[in-house]
Amino acid sequence: MYGYHGNYLRIDVSTGETHRVPLAESTLREFVGGSGLGVRILLDENAAEVEPLSPEAALAFVFSPLVGSPLTTSAKFAVVSKSPLTARINDSLASSGFAIAGKKTGHDALVITGRARQPSILVIEDEQVRLLPADHIAGMTTSDAEQKLKQQLGERFQLAVIGPAGERLVRYATISHDGRHAGRGGSGAVLGAKNIKAVAVCGSRRCEWAEPDLLTQLAKSLSAKSFGPATAKYRELGTASNLLVFNRLNVLPTRNFQQGSFPSAEALSPEQMQQSRERTRASCVACTIGCEHIYSLGNNSNGKAQSVRIEYENLFALGPLCGVSDPEVVLESSRFCDEQGLDTISAGGTIAFAMECAERGYLSAIGLDAPWLRFGNGPALLRALQEIADGTELGQRLAQGSRRFAQEVGRDSIKFAPQVKGLELPGYDPRGLQTMALGFAVGSRGADHNRSGAYEVDFSEAVDRRDVGPEAAQLAVETEDKAAIMDSLILCKFLRGVFVDYFGEAAEMLRLVTGWEVSANELRATAQRIVEAKKEFNIRAGWTPVEDTLPERMLSTPLPDDARAELSTERLQQLVRAYNVARGWSEDGYPASR
Amino acid sequence: MIHVELFGIPRSRAGVEKTTAKGPCLGDVLLDLSERFPALAKECIDGRSLRAGYTANLRGEQFITDPETRLTDGDTLLLLTLDAGG
Repeated sequence: MYGYHGNYLRIDVSTGETHRVPLAESTLREFVGGSGLGVRILLDENAAEVEPLSPEAALAFVFSPLVGSPLTTSAKFAVVSKSPLTARINDSLASSGFAIAGKKTGHDALVITGRARQPSILVIEDEQVRLLPADHIAGMTTSDAEQKLKQQLGERFQLAVIGPAGERLVRYATISHDGRHAGRGGSGAVLGAKNIKAVAVCGSRRCEWAEPDLLTQLAKSLSAKSFGPATAKYRELGTASNLLVFNRLNVLPTRNFQQGSFPSAEALSPEQMQQSRERTRASCVACTIGCEHIYSLGNNSNGKAQSVRIEYENLFALGPLCGVSDPEVVLESSRFCDEQGLDTISAGGTIAFAMECAERGYLSAIGLDAPWLRFGNGPALLRALQEIADGTELGQRLAQGSRRFAQEVGRDSIKFAPQVKGLELPGYDPRGLQTMALGFAVGSRGADHNRSGAYEVDFSEAVDRRDVGPEAAQLAVETEDKAAIMDSLILCKFLRGVFVDYFGEAAEMLRLVTGWEVSANELRATAQRIVEAKKEFNIRAGWTPVEDTLPERMLSTPLPDDARAELSTERLQQLVRAYNVARGWSEDGYPASR
Repeated sequence: MIHVELFGIPRSRAGVEKTTAKGPCLGDVLLDLSERFPALAKECIDGRSLRAGYTANLRGEQFITDPETRLTDGDTLLLLTLDAGG
């Protein structure tokens, strides 16, 4: 078999037992790798039915056929599990040498179950698996733990580590790899619940490619295109350049989605910050785009130079969403989240929700006295993050995410908790981007801009973004299908602008790697299968149609700074029904196979 | 006169945040901008059209790419990159 090893390794960290599970070529062709293969494996492992932080829960690191190939941006992997934040499927992706080294262990996925007796490091070197004590790195930040483990194990090992947030089971804890994070949905807490502080991988087994010469030619062509104008935005300004555009279009979520524009947005823009701060650019492993923009933060109290990687999502969530306009605070908050292993979107979303609750007097009513927690108060944002890290009374509530926190706060707070299925919304106000609103509502892992690229439809002539009708449903399906394939192959979404015939070109890559005569139509069917497998997982986990909605605030209150940006429950449900029909499902969202 | 606001790469190539340009159609505005901002033209504009990856938005309301789209004196046109993302 080309491109794959044809098996995954199941490791029970309770006992240390391992089992090599064969993967049929037909399964690999049907689900490709990454996100798609991960959900298939988790269904086979019956992971939907168990509590995500229990020992029985499975967490899978899933590689893909393109990993290790010369194709740019292919050093990626998916972390797939049931989310402790949403209790639904969670597939978060990251790029690092972990993908290449992990696949070289001779497995297409590493599936971890059980719970180690003590904090441990899981070391996988080819077929050899061992657990080492992690006492000496317990409580360490992600970068300190990685550094310590590199010294201990040597540079040939690639690492996935959790920060203190994962150890504390914060429900939106991340898994960090070389400073990049498998960020959303709390996979860091799942690993923490297994008493695994870090996974170290190293291997010597390479996969062969079916057409190595043609693959190299195609890789050169793709790399050349990746230097072109389609990726200039990412290379020169980074994703943070969205900030001013979204602000201008009144879709920049501000003060917990109470506004769509932020008067101080300019101060947080990359254009402005680049003028006053040292900035360096970097790339993920095996990437030619170079989208990472790393800002200097000066030295810490120990004289150690500090820096932080800035993306639109951490900028929005820790800035406008909390009403914070001080760039120093936003940068420091982002750095803190990275070091603790916290998803910045959920951290910012939950704190913004708590700020609104505090301003309304809802927190004092439940015995949480936090008069300092106010929108626009930078030190309050930093303090709230520190309380999550310290596990204070307030911090423990914040660590649960906005939906659970709202259930404790009561009153009408669930109406403005900024979440779908428990996952906090990213930086797109759905009232002004209504195809994206549909994408959020039906997203298998909740409000999600990575598994649905529906905002692309809103940023086009195809729809009126503030008055989207059912015709947008098919367009939303297409963006979701593209994402399903990109996340399974896996290639970086920032490449999407370079493709002319996306499914056709993706099929050609897969053909050159695997030797399969894959067509664009086959990949479209594969995308539908993957989306349907995620739905199947969620149904088994307890999904019902009422979950496919948005917070009531988005459905009852127009954006104050744009009265045309208005969405109602009836109109959203009309879009959801149209989406389900476009998927070939029943109107309320059940696949025909059910 | 059309008020033009630039974002992201268009802004960095033109070197200005805002400018004005002559209409009456989108294509005429782009031609006018091309003559005054060669770096912007090279990266983002191809004759009377925007290059792939770039788009225009009228008054913050409507995305437009057809060069024959009529503009009204005093309109505001935004030039930006096509993908949101990130």
